[in-house]
Amino acid sequence: MTVHSPEAPAVPAPADAPPESAVRRLWRAARFPAVLAAALIVVSVLMSLGDEQFPTGHLEPGSVSPDGTRALVNVLSEDREVEVVRSSGDAAAAVGAADDAVLVVFLDHRLLPEELDRLAALDVDTVLVRPSVRSLSAFAPGVEMTGRELPRDILERPLEPHCDLPAAASAGPAYVHGELYTADPGVDAVGCYPAGAGDALVQVSEDGTTTTVLGNGGPWANRLLDRGGDAALALNLLDAGTVVWLRPDPPRQEGTASLTELLPAGVRWSLLPLAVGLVLLVVWQGRRMGALVPESLPVVVRASETTEGRAGLYRSRTARDRVTGALRTGFLERHTARLGLGPDAPPDAVVAAVAERTGDDPQAVRELLYPPGPDPYAADDEGLLRLAAELDERSRRLR
Amino acid sequence: MVVTGRAVLLAGVLTVAVAFSGSLGPWAAAVAAAVLVVLVVLDVLLAASPRALRLSRAGDTSLRLGDTAAVEVTVANPTRRGLRGTVRDAWPPSANVEPGVQPLRVDAGERRRVGTTLTPTRRGDARAAGVTVRSLGPLRLAGRQRTLPAPWTVRVLPPFHSRRHLPGKLSRLRELEGQHTAMVRGQGSEFDSLRDYVPGDDVRSIDWRASARNDGVVVRTWRPERDRRILIVLDTGRTSAGRVGDTPRLDHSMDAALLLAALAGKAGDRVDFLAYDRRLRAQVKAAGKGSQVHRIVEAMAPLEAELLESDPAGMASAILTAQGRTRSLVVLLTDLNAASLEEGLLPRVPALTARHLLLVAAVQDPAVAAMAAGRDDSAAVYRAAAAERTLAERRRVTAELRRVGVEVVDAEPEHIAPALADAYINLKAQGRL
Repeated sequence: MTVHSPEAPAVPAPADAPPESAVRRLWRAARFPAVLAAALIVVSVLMSLGDEQFPTGHLEPGSVSPDGTRALVNVLSEDREVEVVRSSGDAAAAVGAADDAVLVVFLDHRLLPEELDRLAALDVDTVLVRPSVRSLSAFAPGVEMTGRELPRDILERPLEPHCDLPAAASAGPAYVHGELYTADPGVDAVGCYPAGAGDALVQVSEDGTTTTVLGNGGPWANRLLDRGGDAALALNLLDAGTVVWLRPDPPRQEGTASLTELLPAGVRWSLLPLAVGLVLLVVWQGRRMGALVPESLPVVVRASETTEGRAGLYRSRTARDRVTGALRTGFLERHTARLGLGPDAPPDAVVAAVAERTGDDPQAVRELLYPPGPDPYAADDEGLLRLAAELDERSRRLR
Repeated sequence: MVVTGRAVLLAGVLTVAVAFSGSLGPWAAAVAAAVLVVLVVLDVLLAASPRALRLSRAGDTSLRLGDTAAVEVTVANPTRRGLRGTVRDAWPPSANVEPGVQPLRVDAGERRRVGTTLTPTRRGDARAAGVTVRSLGPLRLAGRQRTLPAPWTVRVLPPFHSRRHLPGKLSRLRELEGQHTAMVRGQGSEFDSLRDYVPGDDVRSIDWRASARNDGVVVRTWRPERDRRILIVLDTGRTSAGRVGDTPRLDHSMDAALLLAALAGKAGDRVDFLAYDRRLRAQVKAAGKGSQVHRIVEAMAPLEAELLESDPAGMASAILTAQGRTRSLVVLLTDLNAASLEEGLLPRVPALTARHLLLVAAVQDPAVAAMAAGRDDSAAVYRAAAAERTLAERRRVTAELRRVGVEVVDAEPEHIAPALADAYINLKAQGRL
């Protein structure tokens, strides 16, 4: 086996431009997305400035929506301390820390029975807003829910206090419709705002502390707080140095397993061979069969490029005199030889010859080929088209 | 290192198996990963080393543009392991290699030929970029890959489309020979022989002195001059890069030059060739009689238009150096570009025409003629005016060249080769060479 080798000339090393560094290339590729991302971040930050997020929720002390209670909390905190707590433990600690406190409990169905018992055992005045049955029995044993009075339009008619509880009597009529309670005869209780089957507000006194039960938190929400005696009633009931405002968070689920924990071990562990497989897939598809072969591409220049460029120049400068001159020269150079004239024949001879051959009026031919005054065809683009058409017409007849 | 789809498939199967292994998961995963890695590594190690292969080349070294060349690589495997895998003989994209990647199997100690065909779409030298061999292990899971050098160059020659005009032009040339009755007499034609008068012969060619010594009337016959020198000069400067149609002006010029060289070679003239822009790009000197077409074609193949202004002074002195004192026909294939010709060539014409006959051949652009006829709207008229201006300049340059005694051939791309051949035949008939 002999090795043939063609008589190829030595390959000159291609003198290409120095290759771009990788960093530069990366920057060129990434700069537009990076600028776009930065612009988006700046715009979103600017738009979020001054846009304060308030918490939302029914009777939420921070909420400014109609069913929030931010207004009442702000009014209360003008002359007393309001401590908003989210769990029974915090509530107990806050009550323990204050000298003169009142505990107001909302949404107590979120509390566990043992938490309710622990709170009920605290030595503090308590206001229960629409308590659950379990809560009612823990805080105010002997008081029971006996009905509900909730007209469609709560503002139609306020309830009258009809009792000698100072807080209610001084507040006057209020829109406190809601659940109604009745205390057992043996209990030291005062009922106010009677409506139908019971009282909307019941206060139980026991061992020097009072427990007040209110059938509805709605009157204290932002929407109804300024109606009737609602605000006065709230301020009177929550009359203490420190108001401990308990709105418990929903109880957290305990003892649950996350999604990964629920998967069988085999599936979780199959991620290891899957990862190895993905690496193999990348190597399989990413490995090229040898490098790409470069090809030095030839330049592509149309031979008519300069003519096109000149046409563009004529047009952008509207050089109509040049255009008419070029069209006439082309016409004359094509036809003078055929008319038996030399290349530098005088105009008169050319006009005469053309007029004779075409049968036109010599004056018209002179106007066309050698305009004596300002060129009538160079006035506008329409004129150019007319000149070209007339020259073509003469060419046809001369042929 | 390479891996195959088979390895990925195996990884997929193992992933599914581990997923169903239940509480044995950690163990199964460890075993699966280990099996994968060990098998892949083992396959890589057991694959025949592509580095040890010995390559040799054979095949075509030149072809005309449009034809197909066959090139082969012989892969010898001196190792003790059989090689299985794939091979790719890499060439530039314009070479249109077929097939790209092909299977390869070379047993230990054996050789195998790998054939590849090339159908290049560009003139010039196509150089092999290397042979990439991918050698797979016994399990076909993974292997090794290496690109080995196997230099080879295939020269793609100009297509010589105008070859089809050659028979017609040759018969025209033969009409000039003495055996034809339609003999042409010229100042430079040579006396050939005497023969008997045949009715129809020009009575002016009767040799009365010979007729007196003979029984019948004898006429002289003439033959066109032979052993004249022709120098074809190809301008490879910037004006030759412009494309007329889809082909650079240079390639049209080459086509015309090849027809002329073939014709002149048959007519018994010596043909030299020169390609010049700012320096000498290629040169072929006639070595004795006979056709130089093959050598000229070889010299033309790697030529490309350079984006430089040609240097007419240098070109003129190169022409004078190449031809020395002998009178010859100098055919300059360039463009009738007013700016470059008036400043460059015209002042040097007397130096050339003093000793030689100069013929300038140029390719017209049909696109310009089409522009000159455009009348669709005002933009078309502006373009028509610009085209008229270009044509006028061309006519002016042609007239100036003719005035200083230069022959000019100016034709459209499809006519330039026959037009140049006709000009040559006419010059020969007139005995002006």
